[in-house]
Amino acid sequence: MAEFARPGDYTPAEAMVIYSARELKNFDGKTGLIGIGLPLLATQVAKKLYCPNMIMIVETGQADANPIEIPISIMDSRLTYGSSWQMGDPEGLFPLVRGEIDFGFIGGAQIDKYGNVNSTFIGSDYNKPAKRLAGTAGAVDIGGFAKTTITTMHHQKRRVVERVDYLTTPGWMVKKWPEGTWVRREELGLPGGPSCFISTLGIMRYDGETKIMYVDQYFPGVTVQQIKENTGFDIDVSRATEAEPILVEELRVLREEADPLNIYRTR
Amino acid sequence: MKKSKLVSLQEAMQEVKDGDCIVMGGVVEDRRPVAAACELVRQGKRGLIILAECSLSEDILVGGGCAVAYRGTYSSIGAFGISPCIQRMSEEGRIIVDDIGHTEVCLGALAAMAGAPFIATKACLGTDVLNPAYDNVAKIRELARNKDVLPAQKYVLMEDPFFGEGMVQLHPALKADVFIVHVQQAGEEGTARIDGSLVFDHFAVHAAKKVIVTAEQVVPEEYLRRDPNRNQIPATSVDMVVEVPWGAHPGQVYNYYDMDIPFLMEYAKKALTQQGFEEWADEWIFSVKDHYGYLNKLGAARLEKLRAIPPFGYRPRMRGGMK
Repeated sequence: MAEFARPGDYTPAEAMVIYSARELKNFDGKTGLIGIGLPLLATQVAKKLYCPNMIMIVETGQADANPIEIPISIMDSRLTYGSSWQMGDPEGLFPLVRGEIDFGFIGGAQIDKYGNVNSTFIGSDYNKPAKRLAGTAGAVDIGGFAKTTITTMHHQKRRVVERVDYLTTPGWMVKKWPEGTWVRREELGLPGGPSCFISTLGIMRYDGETKIMYVDQYFPGVTVQQIKENTGFDIDVSRATEAEPILVEELRVLREEADPLNIYRTR
Repeated sequence: MKKSKLVSLQEAMQEVKDGDCIVMGGVVEDRRPVAAACELVRQGKRGLIILAECSLSEDILVGGGCAVAYRGTYSSIGAFGISPCIQRMSEEGRIIVDDIGHTEVCLGALAAMAGAPFIATKACLGTDVLNPAYDNVAKIRELARNKDVLPAQKYVLMEDPFFGEGMVQLHPALKADVFIVHVQQAGEEGTARIDGSLVFDHFAVHAAKKVIVTAEQVVPEEYLRRDPNRNQIPATSVDMVVEVPWGAHPGQVYNYYDMDIPFLMEYAKKALTQQGFEEWADEWIFSVKDHYGYLNKLGAARLEKLRAIPPFGYRPRMRGGMK
């Protein structure tokens, strides 16, 4: 019988990584374009436990990357060694544009109720931002072209918001230029759309009709009230159930195999 | 034998003029022309416009007061945080930024290689990359020495007239005055061989009026020509070649060396303030005469700890690599 870990045995960041890895169970044999950081760490846990046949593409042009030790950079040499093909960024990103990527997995600084993600700047003045961030990188293209997108970030009121300060990664409702009218992404011919947001508190999904984020699962030791308090809009919690507890084995794989040196500082 | 293109790093960087639009090869902290960036700071360049990304090597230019604008897709040093100088300068409103997408940069470089003025794509539709309120192309163009290097508009929207796939944007080709790329090996005529990710350097090399290759090793041109399929940059596109061993330190170069993590962490921390950056620059740029002075200051022991091990192309952490 599987042994369960208890809340307190692990950190919120570890929970986020492990529940993300579980979500990836659905993608064994599929091809993902994975962002560096916690998405990559979760992917490594998932490949060891749940989806050994998942294929990882990285935007700096590694096809089927199989790192032996955890990379910390988007073109880390650790991604190159053992990959099937090593070209460059165009060869890494164009499969996405061609519609060949089953899922994308990214982090970010802000997410809104339609799953739009901001990784560009915080504030209201683009030319003098309150906080300048990393910019678009692959996040804009993953959200635009992957058949579906998973997002992960810490759950805080300033991050999970009604409207992102800057729309970097397109979610379900996006802006049609030149006027900036809000439209559904299909109207612009964008495929896919986000499937879930996995935070430090729970798993959020998007309503089939309204495409608005709701709480699907809350992690053991977390309450729906806590999620409401840490969300910047009035989030629907009526469908929320408690997530299956974390397995001791999942924690072991994360701590001893995926990131033994705690490079990602999840603990 | 054809004329050698070998020059010193000082001579090569003198080719970069104030107000030039420049692109640097590699990405984030990997295979970046850091020694070239330090030399540009040493030479006191001004008014540069940074295209494509603003990571390690470009951030040093920003901190060094060399740059007035940045137009690209990534302004972070990955695990080491947002590029500290561009972050600070942007938040103070002292540098002009214009964000574009990653696929857009690749497509711009592809268009340049194809000699096409623009390329049609669905990239960035629906996002604030296309928000006219954030379009700083015209402002940046005003500052360029050669205005014709930058597009007259950020993008044009149109309906796909061929396959009926709805709205697309026309994205202009990437053009630059100078492309500086760091590679593993180059011959004296400019043929260059890259190991690991090519980033978009194999396209961008065709986007610039002037191409400067800095190489870990300059090897006989004839040696690289024994296996031309393994080369990504043709001699015909290169203007100057410089031998710069450890030229991407503190970043990594596949098959040569790994990241100097403590050095990167120190940069990321110090450069959070202008004074901190200046202290860093005094220590690592101005107190040394040239790149060899920088290497002497680092010392052989420190560099040896970074050296890549076959067959990995990096230094495994369990085998003495930095953590």
